[in-house]
Amino acid sequence: MNLAANANIALYSSMIVYTLAMLAFTWHLAARVPTIEGVRVEDREAVLVGSGSRDGEPAAPETPSTPYAAGLVGEQTLKSRQRGNIALMLTYLATALLVSSVLMRGLAVSRPPWGNMFEFATAAAAAVGVAYSVLAKRNHWEWLGVFIVAPILLVLGLSLTELYTEAGELMPALKSYWLGIHVSVAFIAVAMFTIGFAIGALYLVRRHREEKPPAKPNFIESLPTSAALERTSYTVNMVGFILWTFTLIAGAIWAKEAWGAYWQWDPKEVWTFVIWTVYAAYMHSRATAGVDARKSMYIALAGFVAVIINFTLVNLVSTFVGMHNYSGM
Amino acid sequence: MSTDLRAPRTAPPEPALPRLGPVGLLRWAWRQLTSMRTALFLLLLLSVAAVPGSIFPQRNIDAGRVADYMAQNPTTSPWLDRFGFFDVYSSPWFSAIYLLLFISLIGCIVPRTKVHVAALRSTPPRAPARLHRLPEHAEVTTTLSPEEALAEARTVLKAKRFRLHAHDATSVSGESGYLRETGNLVFHLALTGIIVGMAVGHLLGWRGDVILAEGDRFASSAGTYNTISPGPWVDDESLPPFVLGLERLDVQFNETPGRGFGMPREFTAYTSLQESPGAPVTRQAVSVNHPLTVGGADIFLLGNGYAPVITVRDAKGTVLYRESTPFLAQDGNYRSVGVIKVPSAQPKQLGITGFFLPTAEPTFANGPVSLFPDAKNPEVALSIWEGNLFPGGAPQSVYTLNTEEMKQVTKADGSPALVRLKPGQTYEMPGGRGSITLERVKRFAGLSVRTDPGAPISLVSAILATLGLILGLVIKRRRVFVRVRREPTAPDAGAGPPVTVVSIGGLSKDSDAGLAAIVQAVHDHLAERKDRP
Ligand code: HEM
Repeated sequence: MNLAANANIALYSSMIVYTLAMLAFTWHLAARVPTIEGVRVEDREAVLVGSGSRDGEPAAPETPSTPYAAGLVGEQTLKSRQRGNIALMLTYLATALLVSSVLMRGLAVSRPPWGNMFEFATAAAAAVGVAYSVLAKRNHWEWLGVFIVAPILLVLGLSLTELYTEAGELMPALKSYWLGIHVSVAFIAVAMFTIGFAIGALYLVRRHREEKPPAKPNFIESLPTSAALERTSYTVNMVGFILWTFTLIAGAIWAKEAWGAYWQWDPKEVWTFVIWTVYAAYMHSRATAGVDARKSMYIALAGFVAVIINFTLVNLVSTFVGMHNYSGM
Repeated sequence: MSTDLRAPRTAPPEPALPRLGPVGLLRWAWRQLTSMRTALFLLLLLSVAAVPGSIFPQRNIDAGRVADYMAQNPTTSPWLDRFGFFDVYSSPWFSAIYLLLFISLIGCIVPRTKVHVAALRSTPPRAPARLHRLPEHAEVTTTLSPEEALAEARTVLKAKRFRLHAHDATSVSGESGYLRETGNLVFHLALTGIIVGMAVGHLLGWRGDVILAEGDRFASSAGTYNTISPGPWVDDESLPPFVLGLERLDVQFNETPGRGFGMPREFTAYTSLQESPGAPVTRQAVSVNHPLTVGGADIFLLGNGYAPVITVRDAKGTVLYRESTPFLAQDGNYRSVGVIKVPSAQPKQLGITGFFLPTAEPTFANGPVSLFPDAKNPEVALSIWEGNLFPGGAPQSVYTLNTEEMKQVTKADGSPALVRLKPGQTYEMPGGRGSITLERVKRFAGLSVRTDPGAPISLVSAILATLGLILGLVIKRRRVFVRVRREPTAPDAGAGPPVTVVSIGGLSKDSDAGLAAIVQAVHDHLAERKDRP
């Protein structure tokens, strides 16, 4: 039995199932559009709670007084719930196929299956799929599905057409157990950043529409409130940031073992550092009094742009070539 | 810019700043520098400032590429160089940003530590009068006495590791999550530790590089390395005096056709090592990712290549030169360049330079090209120069030939003499100048010996930073208050025994999903107790 070939079959199958899942998620969103009446009633319920208290305690958060703000998560129609469930089931199946593809590739080459760009991209996509699958059910994240599955499909498609590399042995510099540790933590962090990015972008849209209520509500108005989206995005990014900190340190330890110096500012190290400082700035800004949450979110989105640059331009464009020349391209 | 005629005649009044003396100004500047906003700005600036170093070639990584870049961009590159774009990470502006950031950091840690120590000793604040105004609140009516109800609430909060204090008989205040600020301070403090470690490494660390051909030995001392870069505080005498011999270098390349063809697979150097001259010899392997440690220094295998053994004889057959000469690889297929200098040649000094090709493309249709990195069909292609090898007596690299005062040796017909030799072959130089023989081909290992006494400091700091970060981000600072009041009777029932109304309020400094659960837990516990007679 040829494991590498089966890995590819599993990969193609997972793409087919992800496509179905994406359609089902869209179908689910279509059923989420709240009716105007349904929302306006909710709106009037919003009573302002006390705006301050003794001892300099922070004020209780103000309940937004704009229409649609309250969120209708609990009021999903049966139809949208059913469609959401179907979409989730398809996502689980697709993710299982993708994970098995990565595992088979790993068995085929007898090493961690992330030694070149193609493998890293598929493994990272699998990590996004797993992270989403684990979190989605508990947090009722059906609304997020499209925004997760579509990027996964994009990454898988691009990696098959642009990056595909036959299963093979590793370069000497990669033959280290640190490959398993450093790189796997890196792409779990990237998975978190991806989810944090998707929620963060939705937060910006949702908040914009809360402030300037559109004439016609759509699925955006059925999402949790912008404040809740912001908190969720922060929590997910925070986990990503902790993992990225670990990635950075593990990378430095590995660099010391492989090249004799733990930090040399080669382009990959530079971008790992840039990503770290940008997300650190995000964490920091969120704790800084007087910085609007929207501005903080822009920093987080910039951090994700750096993540993308780190994986695309830095690996592929020759200006950036340093010691990390492992793209296998 | 032209003057705007419609501008008002009188300038708008300047915003009135309070007059500050020099001390006041300094204090103001210090407060600005150590504010969180400034730290945020500097962090963002630092990330932007780091980027050019990944776009422009850097001297610390590859000085050769900087030279190429400067040759290709003669107009812009002097300016880029002036502003440090080829040495970004040691440039004044990059250093200024991170130094300011770390001054700001220290200026921030000290007062915060004081505040935190005080907070650790203080008691939770008095409960607000109306707890239902807090973000999380609950109320429960119980038949327990007020004292009993408070005691029950205390047990729940204690179990959740709240620090408790009663300011009066009818309330209790609880606070938890002090570790958050502790973690946060540890994180910020550890960041400075990383910088300290880097500084120590810079001052006390050193690095020496040496190229060693198979069969050669070298005794470590400041003079025996090909290049050595000690930190400013390193004493040459303190280098470990080990002796290292390279017995064999094993190299494997991918021979399967396809994208990975010719990619390296395995490099291992088999060495003999003595801790000091005269000490017992041990056999040790060094490979990529598996350095060797001796006398506090680590030995890394960072490069490799070919060192053809070349003999130069004069016309009488006397050996003028016989050495394994390292040729440095120029591309992935190890087309390598090298130089042989024969100062003892008569009547003029000889310089021989050219290529070594591990798998020579036989026709040389496109010049000397190697097709594969392994030595499948080794060949050298050389040209010969004669004249003065060392014009002006200036020191020069062993890998370059200065031909300023040299002329290329030509054949009788005037064309340049080009030498192509396979192992075992000999070339007779024209005009009775003697002969060149390629005896055989050895490999060399590029070894780098390094110490970094700061690395453990940075490593420990980095681990502490991570732990502090996790504490600082995951733990939430929370306050929970419980207040009891006696009501003559249950509000809904008409008459009955007096009851106790317990209100619970919770408040968090951070976005805190767990707070509601805690308030709920106190509520549920009391609700459960009330059912018991
Ligand atoms: C190297 C520079 C710095 C980095 C990378 C950095 C990073 C961070 C990060 C990641 C956080 C969120 C983590 C947490 O809450 O535990 C944070 C929070 C914080 N930082 Fe910094 N910071 C830096 C410098 C500073 C400076 C200079 C100050 C003082 C002005 C400062 C004061 C704070 C404060 C007060 C918090 C909020 C803690 C809270 O959540 O209550 N930091 N910083």
